[in-house]
Amino acid sequence: MHHAFKLGDAEHNLELSRSADGYRLHLADRTLPIDLKTGADGRAWLTLDGEHHEVVIATRGDDVFVHFDGEAYQLRYEHPLKRLAAAGLGSAEDRVLAPMPGSIVSVSVKAGDAVTKGQILLVMESMKMETTIAAPRDGVIEAVTYDKGQTFDRDALLLSLVAIEKKK
Amino acid sequence: MSDPRQWPFHTVLVANRGEIAVRVLRTVRKLGLKGAVVYHAADRGTLAVKMADHAIEITGPTPVASYLDGAQIIAAAKSCGAGAIHPGYGFLSENKGFCQAVEAAGIRFIGPTPEQIDLMGDKVRARNYVQKAGFPVAPSAIEDDDPKTFVERSRKVGAPLLIKPSAGGGGKGMRIVRDLSLLEQEIERGRSEGQRYFGDGRLYCERYIENPRHIEVQVLGDGQGSVVHVFERECSVQRRFQKIVEETPSPALDDKKRKEICETAAGIARAIGYRNAGTVEFIFGPSGEFYFLEMNTRLQVEHPVTEEITGIDLVHEQLRVAAGEKLGYGQNDVKSQGHAIEFRIYAEDAARGYTPTTGPVLVLHPPQGDGVRWDSGIVQGGEVTSAFDPMIAKLIIRGTDRKDAIAKADQALRETVLLGCKTNTAFLRRLIHHPAFVAGDVHTGFLDANPQIAAEPDMPAQTLHALLGAAALSTRPMRDVADAVPDMHAAIGSWRN
Repeated sequence: MHHAFKLGDAEHNLELSRSADGYRLHLADRTLPIDLKTGADGRAWLTLDGEHHEVVIATRGDDVFVHFDGEAYQLRYEHPLKRLAAAGLGSAEDRVLAPMPGSIVSVSVKAGDAVTKGQILLVMESMKMETTIAAPRDGVIEAVTYDKGQTFDRDALLLSLVAIEKKK
Repeated sequence: MSDPRQWPFHTVLVANRGEIAVRVLRTVRKLGLKGAVVYHAADRGTLAVKMADHAIEITGPTPVASYLDGAQIIAAAKSCGAGAIHPGYGFLSENKGFCQAVEAAGIRFIGPTPEQIDLMGDKVRARNYVQKAGFPVAPSAIEDDDPKTFVERSRKVGAPLLIKPSAGGGGKGMRIVRDLSLLEQEIERGRSEGQRYFGDGRLYCERYIENPRHIEVQVLGDGQGSVVHVFERECSVQRRFQKIVEETPSPALDDKKRKEICETAAGIARAIGYRNAGTVEFIFGPSGEFYFLEMNTRLQVEHPVTEEITGIDLVHEQLRVAAGEKLGYGQNDVKSQGHAIEFRIYAEDAARGYTPTTGPVLVLHPPQGDGVRWDSGIVQGGEVTSAFDPMIAKLIIRGTDRKDAIAKADQALRETVLLGCKTNTAFLRRLIHHPAFVAGDVHTGFLDANPQIAAEPDMPAQTLHALLGAAALSTRPMRDVADAVPDMHAAIGSWRN
């Protein structure tokens, strides 16, 4: 299966196909008849396996937000090509993501700097608390995204290390 | 004052933002007065700015700093001819210097006198004042007062008690004594720990309240001899020492206890000749003992629950007494009916230690219905940023009784749709279904003691399938691919995988 959505920390593979009167949702262990009729202001009617559900849906870039059965959820579409590329590149340790939204208090490295595991890369501030971000491994800084004082959202790429493969 | 021309001011400037700016403007407009706000550029698209008759931009090194810049705010008030400034809560609402500067500029401060802010702003001074006036504060003994009698005085505080190093902080060197026969021994240990940690062995001790509740009382005073209480609010459900659910009446009080605690609060406000709406906070122990904690000399975040059960518009009362009017009614005229609960809707992820979240407000459908009040400053198309506090709205539910209010709240939380930024509505629903909450049996450590309420429950397979289906059919690359392939081939294609 080529397509996938990330929901929380889990990735779910799936495929979509046409049927005579709607669509089929192909999951790893089953295939379900499905259809979606959209209305105004994000409201939509989902038919899944013969059951009807009123939902509210909004999209932004690759993010899909769904209000279902009284709760809101966020799913992220994972592009097939990006997933292929990610599989061939370095590990998640090459990308330092923001653990929570906040702002940069100080940055102690710049692109091209060699760093050792545990070395302090930057200090961020969130909820009136300072958090120190340290190097996840030995490597060379590829890029630093933010300057002192700038704000960012959760999961924003704070800085990247050169992948081990590239270094060779 | 039914005629707006009778007010000594015709424009009221709100020195605040978000939901409370909207809340104050609503009453100001209802009274036929003009409403003004100051705003930082980050708040340009918010409801308060859209609603106000005058909106004046202020600047600062950070968005928060601009709302703390009293000189700019007073200049803004003058520029639009505002005769009064309402400070809301937080920011400059309990700042004596700001209050004085506002009055010096010939503008009325919608709040207490600077002296009253000063007295209640200093926790130790407030506590001493309240104690001297004959009201209950937590029993304590300070070694420095008379070192020779410290053990004896500590024994009188009664068990359980907490010994703390005078120079201490962060819980270091603190010891709980449940058995007074061990008192002297524990004092010696506390002294040696204090010496080791802080180089200072002086101690003090106070009564330790196990699993306390936070109960507060709304008061109203006109500064001309009249003070009434407007009943209590129970605010024991807290996370990170911040309230998230507040209700009235408190399920912990019977009529006798309610009268006692409410009259104590009114007595404290009366003792200082209080003017304005205010809140007297108490710590409430399991056996019904209660002690003065502090007094907030401003409108409180959770004031709407009081309004919902009494029909009193607290902002209207604030404006009236600031205009020099008398309350004009007595304690017996203040009546309550039903039960009200407020839920603070936070942009945060309860399962990740209540960390704040940010994002665009792509879709916002506030809940509606009888007994449902939605106080919020955000609008669809807006953005939740990390520049301010993560509270984005307050959902206030009024029911005939507590059970009815909880049932209505569950429905309203289900119907609250906010897409683009994670909120705590699902967590709040788990909380109100917890047997201890249903029984009204909570204390300030309740959420810490029950971390499973914050954790994300396992997702039913049907929910997962519905979410994946809805997401797939809303994602163009997936739908386009499916639409491009005729039915038969699509099925074969999936088998090949």
